[in-house]
Amino acid sequence: MSHIEILDQINAIFRRVFENDSLQIQMETSADDVDEWDSLNHTVMIVEVEKHFNIKFKLKEVLSFQNVGDMVNIIHSKVTSA
Amino acid sequence: MNNPLRQIVDSFQRYQQLPSFCINNTFYTYGDLSKHIKGIQNQILESNPPANSNIGVMTFNDIETYASILAILFSGHSFVPINPEHPAERNEAIFEQGEISLLCTSETIHKDVSSKLSGVKVLNTKNLKFSDGEFLFQVKENDLAYILFTSGSTGIPKGVPLKVSNLNAFLSSFFKMGYQLNEKDRFLQMFDLTFDLSIMSYLAPLCVGACVYTIPLTGFKYMHVYSVMEEHRLTFTLMVPSILTHLRQYFDEIKLDELKYSLFCGEALYEDITLEWAKCVPNAVIENVYGPTEATIFCSRYVINRQGPNKNLNGILSIGKAMDGVVLMVLNDQNQQAAINEKGELCIAGAQVTPGYWKNEEKNKEAFFLHEGTRFYKTGDLCYTDESGDIFYSGRVDFQVKIQGFRVELGEIEFHARYFLKSVAAVAVAVQNDLNAWQINLFVESDQIQKDALMEHLKAHLPAYMIPSAIIPVPIFPLNTNGKVDRKQLLLTLNKTNIS
Repeated sequence: MSHIEILDQINAIFRRVFENDSLQIQMETSADDVDEWDSLNHTVMIVEVEKHFNIKFKLKEVLSFQNVGDMVNIIHSKVTSA
Repeated sequence: MNNPLRQIVDSFQRYQQLPSFCINNTFYTYGDLSKHIKGIQNQILESNPPANSNIGVMTFNDIETYASILAILFSGHSFVPINPEHPAERNEAIFEQGEISLLCTSETIHKDVSSKLSGVKVLNTKNLKFSDGEFLFQVKENDLAYILFTSGSTGIPKGVPLKVSNLNAFLSSFFKMGYQLNEKDRFLQMFDLTFDLSIMSYLAPLCVGACVYTIPLTGFKYMHVYSVMEEHRLTFTLMVPSILTHLRQYFDEIKLDELKYSLFCGEALYEDITLEWAKCVPNAVIENVYGPTEATIFCSRYVINRQGPNKNLNGILSIGKAMDGVVLMVLNDQNQQAAINEKGELCIAGAQVTPGYWKNEEKNKEAFFLHEGTRFYKTGDLCYTDESGDIFYSGRVDFQVKIQGFRVELGEIEFHARYFLKSVAAVAVAVQNDLNAWQINLFVESDQIQKDALMEHLKAHLPAYMIPSAIIPVPIFPLNTNGKVDRKQLLLTLNKTNIS
């Protein structure tokens, strides 16, 4: 799975969790860019992403996410090594 | 510690070169902090406010904000923290009620707020000229130390003033709890500065010359809390239990060997998650502390037995016994001291209790009373005491609802739901339906629950009148600014969710 494919799939999850059908995220998108991205939705989003890709993030990984790209890179490394 | 606030002055003299605060990874020594305090005090003096004035502080996560609080307190005035993120209308009400004519701020105030501040002199605390010499310390026991505004049931904020004597009484009792603390300790400060748990989190460390670690105001609180605890190997933390709920899925990766004391306050602490947390903090004493703002920060404590079992009611840990100098009494329906195991309203007396709500005689008549010559505050918390004197919290007096004439305690429903759901959080809320009859809605923090099986379980353990009318799954419970489960927000999710 490519980075772009992962980003597309995450975008669908974001739209659902943040209840915003027009949301278009990029690799550089961070919590500051999305109004609905609060700590509550963040936890929900992480759980949804884990379920979707059938992976489990480590706490250290979650703490390192500065933007969507950081998450995409970690998902990519997890799904390709699985 | 006889006069703990005076002790802080000693810390400044003894530990000039040691860190007092770590904010956004920048360390400020006691010497640095002292210069900020002195600079702000000079500005306050120039404004020449009357003795023991209420002075506002806009709360930001910076050294100037903390220095302003200390400068105001040490100048013999009382500080009123104001969160710029709170609605402008609410803050305006605080300025008016608190008769605030002077405001310290380290950042430019948003025009929504500043337009409402006619007659308030704004003192900018950023980039002040430092002056050498010691700061003023003219603190009088009988003066007010601070006023916190909490939400009142009428929608108008309610001012809770605490005196210097209240604060000193709290700090004295705190240091009698047996903690081994010194200038090498590292404390967490995770609270909004308008919430009184913040005051313990920065004043107690300053009393012993320790360092306060704050967390950023933006981003995700529980992540900041964990990051700071881990990176700076904190030794003392006071947190709200909700932080554990967020971190729980990572407990197996957490090991904080250097944490000595892990305190929880602010909402019900469950035994199951606490014992799981104990494995993450193998060397820490874990305590459940309790207390309303009206009795200065907290006033009772229960030390958790790490191996279990612990005293609990419906899985919620006991709030333990009164701290030194505090009297706790449970009052029954007949306004008499309740018998052992008899439920009633918890009332508090002693040197930590507020002189009374700020300019609110009506509320004072309701909330304070004399019992055999001693003045007590009614907490609104429903509690009982066991045979060894430990106190158990069983909900708010207001949450004790009558359904079909039966008295229902929502905590009991929550307990059975949590038991079935294997510790998934559950909150029962009583609401009036279209027919004005009360019904119970059970919110469950999960997106995949077997409602039918849960309902069967509840029916097997609870009488019919306690069975919820609706079970509503919510992926994650909303928290209010203090980090507690926000019941009002939960009710709002009803509109978004299909009730079944």
